[in-house]
Amino acid sequence: MLSVKGLRANVGDKEILRGLDLEVGPGEVHAIMGPNGSGKSTFAHVLSGREGYEVTSGSATFEGKDLLVLEPEERAQLGLFLAFQYPVELSGVNNTYFLKAALNSIRKARGEEELDAVSFLRLIKDKLKILHLDDSLLKRAVNAGFSGGEKKRNEIFQMALLEPKLAILDETDSGLDIDALRVVADGVNALRSPERSMIVVTHYQRLLDYIQPDYVHVLAKGQIIRSGGKELALELEEKGYGWIEAEGRAA
Amino acid sequence: MTAGLPTGFEGWVAEAARASGGRGLEWLDAQRRSALEQASAQGLPTNKDEQWRYTSLKGLQEQAFALSAEPLTALQPDDIEEALVAGLDSHRVVLVNGRFSPELSPLEDLPEGVRIAGLAQLLESDPDVLRGELNGVAGDELPLFAALNTAGLDDGVVVIVDDRRIVERPIELIHLSVGLDEPRVAQPRNLVILNAGAQATLIERYLSLGDSLYCTNCVTEVSLGRDALLAHERIQDESPNAFHITGFYLRQDTASSYRGINIGLGARWARTDLCVSFSGEHAECDLQGLYLAGDGQLMDYHLDVDHSLPNCRSQENFKGILYGKGRAVFDGLVFVAEDAQKTDAAMSNRNLMLSESAEVDTKPQLEINADDVKCSHGTTVGRIEPEMLFYLRSRGISAPIARRMLCLGFAGEIIDKLGAEPLRDYVTEQVGRRLESAPLS
Ligand SMILES: Nc1ncnc2c1ncn2[C@@H]1O[C@H](COP(=O)(O)OP(=O)(O)OP(=O)(O)O)[C@@H](O)[C@H]1O
Ligand SMILES: [Mg+2]
Repeated sequence: MLSVKGLRANVGDKEILRGLDLEVGPGEVHAIMGPNGSGKSTFAHVLSGREGYEVTSGSATFEGKDLLVLEPEERAQLGLFLAFQYPVELSGVNNTYFLKAALNSIRKARGEEELDAVSFLRLIKDKLKILHLDDSLLKRAVNAGFSGGEKKRNEIFQMALLEPKLAILDETDSGLDIDALRVVADGVNALRSPERSMIVVTHYQRLLDYIQPDYVHVLAKGQIIRSGGKELALELEEKGYGWIEAEGRAA
Repeated sequence: MTAGLPTGFEGWVAEAARASGGRGLEWLDAQRRSALEQASAQGLPTNKDEQWRYTSLKGLQEQAFALSAEPLTALQPDDIEEALVAGLDSHRVVLVNGRFSPELSPLEDLPEGVRIAGLAQLLESDPDVLRGELNGVAGDELPLFAALNTAGLDDGVVVIVDDRRIVERPIELIHLSVGLDEPRVAQPRNLVILNAGAQATLIERYLSLGDSLYCTNCVTEVSLGRDALLAHERIQDESPNAFHITGFYLRQDTASSYRGINIGLGARWARTDLCVSFSGEHAECDLQGLYLAGDGQLMDYHLDVDHSLPNCRSQENFKGILYGKGRAVFDGLVFVAEDAQKTDAAMSNRNLMLSESAEVDTKPQLEINADDVKCSHGTTVGRIEPEMLFYLRSRGISAPIARRMLCLGFAGEIIDKLGAEPLRDYVTEQVGRRLESAPLS
């Protein structure tokens, strides 16, 4: 589904991704862990097409299509979704209006009918319930004045609505209280399916208790330096990243 | 009689146009004469004049507009259908090319204590009501365009609400321009008086049937009595080829409240002067504004809020969206007199620039002579935040639609303050339509 080979990317003169490889198959959940500043968010941004990064070599294909030449909206329309580490506040942009525009543009790209107002409202109310979010949120501006936890839940709510094929969750667990973490994890798990893949970026093993990954990768200094099963996360929790980096240097 | 007026403006006060409104009224003729003298004495301002530093009058002068001699009576109610806002329930008053149109103004069901009439009509039937009121707020020293309006004073609308009357439905003044063979200037003169404790909503819309070339030079005077409350929504949506000039004069008595929203969308060249003064303490004045300026358009706003008395509050909040080669000027002055203690004033002007070639000159100023006041001003000139744009696009929304959503979000702060939902929808649609075709460079 997603195939990343030797991906290198710069911000300005600074190389952030330094030859990153990752293969994600349909239905798989991959966790990416790694120290602060190692390039996890950068990777997520490059995949979703944010400006400001220069890909210097390597490739990223999604269902056989070259992702890197596409506009961000085209990637989203293909079924890519990024849950932001820092969701952006859009003051003045009404949430319902926004959700409807997003859903309909994605449906249109998939060759589906646009939803009428009634079916749309029914759909979002269902999805809100899954994330334990209040209806009143629909009347507000997108993320404006939302608490940190509400913003994160709102990201997963959008994901539930847009039903992507590949979702990248960038530290969706940070800033969530224990109950909210469970709600978000339940929401994510409800979306797991044999066709839907996920890349879960996190610093905490705890999230992976709820969302069980098929693979765990360690990203350091812009490269995946170790991959394993979910037991790798436990090992990292216990020992930190130092030992892998040390092993890497020794090798 | 018109000798001495700046070249190109002689036709604005032509004798012919003065056929109707209150001829032979001594006091009115004196006002007209004095205004004409002032207009002649001032001459045409240049960019050395602080008030006209960023705005050239050349285009306006070259047109050599003239007043139209004959009132236009041929319009039927059906003809103005397209000028109406669907679903807006109002006491509708229509002026065509600056003249009150009784046929198009269905005013039968006015509540008691509310008087709405054409100015020319009232000058004939009951001129004493107007004596002391016309120019009562604007004063005797008039800038050029208000002087021209006064010199040619002829018709317009008068609204008078008696003590403690509450007018539930909005009063809507539709200033309609209809293309004539030659470029014409219309100089409607409006007078709005809310007596003590009265409350009303006034909607003023300036628009045209078709996209002809003309000039509107209007003056609106508003006087609010003690505790009176006026919501005033002005929507300037003139023809894209038109020139528009507003002189707005407001005077507020004790504890009165004015909430104004100025939306500027149309005209190729628009100049709006908003002048506020207080005749009592504890009054509140809220001036909100939204303007769009695209290719070849100029939107010029001058605010002059005179806090001569203590304990009054004013807020000035103007937002602009500029695109293509659009230009805007915001020149706001809040003056606080020496003994106007406890004045609370906040002025802000924020501009969203969608293109490199758009231009804005913004100059909010506070002139504070009292020491116990709370005053602030701020201005921003910014672009669409790339993070916001990316967030929307990452949800599958195309770049042009995402940009429009963000612009409407920016404009929404002002539009949402309009009282009637049909009007909010109408303005949102107008703004959206303009942004749709907005060039980004
Ligand atoms: N726009 C930018 N300008 C300059 N440096 C940047 C920019 N974006 C990212 N970087 C740098 O790239 C490096 C990787 O950042 P990134 O946000 O990808 O790290 P991360 O692994 O997500 O970290 P964290 O765990 O703290 O979220 C950091 O050193 C960061 O400062
Ligand atoms: Mg990060």
